[in-house]
Amino acid sequence: MSSENPQQIDAPPLTEEIAPGTATDPPVGSTDVATVTVDGATIDVAAGATLLDAIEAVETDDSVPALCSYDRQEIGPRSECRTCMVGTDEHGVVPACSFPAKDGLTVQTGAADAAEARDVNLDLVLSDHNLRCTTCGKNGRCELQDAAIEQDVEEPRYGVLDDRDEYEPIDDSSSFIQIDRNKCILCNRCVEACNDVQVEGVLRMEGSGQDTRIGFQSDAETMEESTCVSCGHCVTVCPTGSLVEKGIEDATTIPLPGFTQKNSVGKTDESTGTSKGPMTPKKRTEHTLETPTTEMTDSPSDDGISSDTWDDDQSGGDWL
Amino acid sequence: MTAITTGDHLVIRVAAGDPDRDPSLSTAGFDGPIVNVGPTGVPALEPLIAVTAAGRTALYTHCSTADLESITASVEETGDVDGADPDAVVSHAPDRNRLPTAPLPGLRAGDRRVLGACSWRRPTSVADHKAAGGFAPSDAETVLTVGNSLNGRGWGDLCQDDPLAETWRTARATDGDPVVVVNGHGSPADTLLLSSAPFEVLDGASVLASTVAADRIIVYASSEDDNAVKTVSSAVDTYPDPAAPMEVVTGPEEYRAAEPTMAIEAIEGNHRLEARLRPPGPERVGLDGRPTLVHTPRTLAHLAVGLREGIDEQTRVMTVRGDVDSVATVELSETQKLSELVDTVGVDGSFKAACVGGRFGGITRDLDVGIGVEALNNADLGTDGIVDVLSDARCLVEFVGQRASFAAEENCGRCVPCREGTAQLASLLRNVYDGEFDAQAIAELDRVMASSSICVFGERAGRPVRTAIEAFTSEFKAHAEGRCPAGTCLEPLEA
Repeated sequence: MSSENPQQIDAPPLTEEIAPGTATDPPVGSTDVATVTVDGATIDVAAGATLLDAIEAVETDDSVPALCSYDRQEIGPRSECRTCMVGTDEHGVVPACSFPAKDGLTVQTGAADAAEARDVNLDLVLSDHNLRCTTCGKNGRCELQDAAIEQDVEEPRYGVLDDRDEYEPIDDSSSFIQIDRNKCILCNRCVEACNDVQVEGVLRMEGSGQDTRIGFQSDAETMEESTCVSCGHCVTVCPTGSLVEKGIEDATTIPLPGFTQKNSVGKTDESTGTSKGPMTPKKRTEHTLETPTTEMTDSPSDDGISSDTWDDDQSGGDWL
Repeated sequence: MTAITTGDHLVIRVAAGDPDRDPSLSTAGFDGPIVNVGPTGVPALEPLIAVTAAGRTALYTHCSTADLESITASVEETGDVDGADPDAVVSHAPDRNRLPTAPLPGLRAGDRRVLGACSWRRPTSVADHKAAGGFAPSDAETVLTVGNSLNGRGWGDLCQDDPLAETWRTARATDGDPVVVVNGHGSPADTLLLSSAPFEVLDGASVLASTVAADRIIVYASSEDDNAVKTVSSAVDTYPDPAAPMEVVTGPEEYRAAEPTMAIEAIEGNHRLEARLRPPGPERVGLDGRPTLVHTPRTLAHLAVGLREGIDEQTRVMTVRGDVDSVATVELSETQKLSELVDTVGVDGSFKAACVGGRFGGITRDLDVGIGVEALNNADLGTDGIVDVLSDARCLVEFVGQRASFAAEENCGRCVPCREGTAQLASLLRNVYDGEFDAQAIAELDRVMASSSICVFGERAGRPVRTAIEAFTSEFKAHAEGRCPAGTCLEPLEA
């Protein structure tokens, strides 16, 4: 990086063509240092702090899961799960993770309406999650599981996503990263890691309503076809078992014979087994453009990609 | 070019909301003054021909080209405005610059001030607007004073139901050059103003831009509102000396695209629209990070007219639709009642209920409610300015089920209480048909959606259901027992 060269400042940013599909949020932290009161305790916070920063500094009356919050490495707050709602004297119920810690605010984590909102929203998250922890590689190290245990969720009031017809296929096509969107809570951490930190421009948020999902900016259907460079940052920030590293995708499953992650979902996009050549398809395209051939053949990645098959085979596709 | 509203000479106005149905093109033989004016707000009357001379206007509704020819022939022959069997004749001051009320559906009551230009003045005629007192400059203090007592209109307005001036002062005091966005997306009243009275809207935008020292005015509308986009684009091109450069930008037609922060996202060119977090709101950090004021055409037209005429007696522009004889956008005094709004058109069938306040409005059986913000809020009804009338052939459970399904399909997908909450709300309503009416679960979900959604889409998505349960509990119970009192529910939520 040559950021010290003042000549470079006018150059178009690397992010110019990155289109993550998400809103450009304003900076949500406080504009100045502040003193706020949380459950009776007085806390000083630095400029740029949110109420969640203040809450995390004390032992609160009620636990505040703040499930989707990551808030480091320039990731978040997305403030989508709304399991961080707290009561304030001045503004009523607000999301702690994205509300500025303005001087003089008084916060009650135990406010009844806020507690109700946290509980209902956590159950709403679970309503769209296939709660198949026993066949999940993140069992025991899953932030959603932790939150549900901590909030004493025994039976989510809206049930869980348990309709096989609605399941999305597991994307097992990449040699390094597996995506299981049935476990995704749309926290957007992976999209931000991919775009704002790694500046790779691979992942994006797409769709709306119940069709909202993590997809690819290149319009690819699978991880294998995408422009992913397999840096793995998305995997490290994923709070659930939605993005996992290949090879350890079954690391913490309960060893019940006959039950696997793949047959619990039932549909898998497998690797096409074709050689990728240069590291990313994007670079492969550039390469092709530089050396045009007169005889065009079907690109190997254009056929047989999405094998939406019922597959009990535990092998992770063809390794190169 | 002289204004058509001055003097007592003959003017024949042709008002057509749908330009393709405009009959005036084939009257080349007539040498009188035939002018095209914008839509009235009552499509059923159009094409509407208004023949005016010497303080009398004859109105002919639903005219064909042949009708126009026979009307012009009659006027030429007799010199009378009403020689061709008009549907209504009204008398008024010769230099009147607003469409008069007339004994016709949608025009029979009200106080057309903000809508005054509609169907009376040529939408993009500088002379007509000037003759009505338009293009008048205002100093910032006067604008802020009027803004103290004027509330934002409609859900696309950053200051819906709140006084405007405080937000304007914030934008003015914030670092960066402010932007004024005219959010004409989605509401029939706003579309009408852009198509029929665009200079009123641009007047408001221009004085506001000068007040907050904005250097950019953007008119934003749905790409599907062809006539509004075309007319306001032409008005932008001819507007004399705007306080800041004006441009027109279109966004996708989706309902959610009218939400102020999604409007900003669309103007910035994002391919996918979702709501932004706030605070800070767009008045501090908005378009391209600059302080941005997002106001509906209604708000800005009220500002422009208020600056000219004072705001002691305010009006509200409202659209009545659903089971009525004709859809109409009318302007009533704030002191009037919902019943008077519905009476301007008439119910098709017998009245059962109304959904007041747009897509996520509140359901009421009672129309004896004022149309002002306070009265509507007290009745748990919406202030968006759209009233859907429901006759007794309608099933309320079906109606609110459709509204909940719409919310589940059309939300941006960002926050859990809205994305998942609307899906569960629709599901709880489907359960009613399976015999399980859990009013408590619905109320709990509605409370959480209202308190924890990012934007008003999610905050209000539960209101139709909440208010319908309040007003029609027995219908919900009947459905749980397998009976639809209105007899319409077979595949209720699939419709």
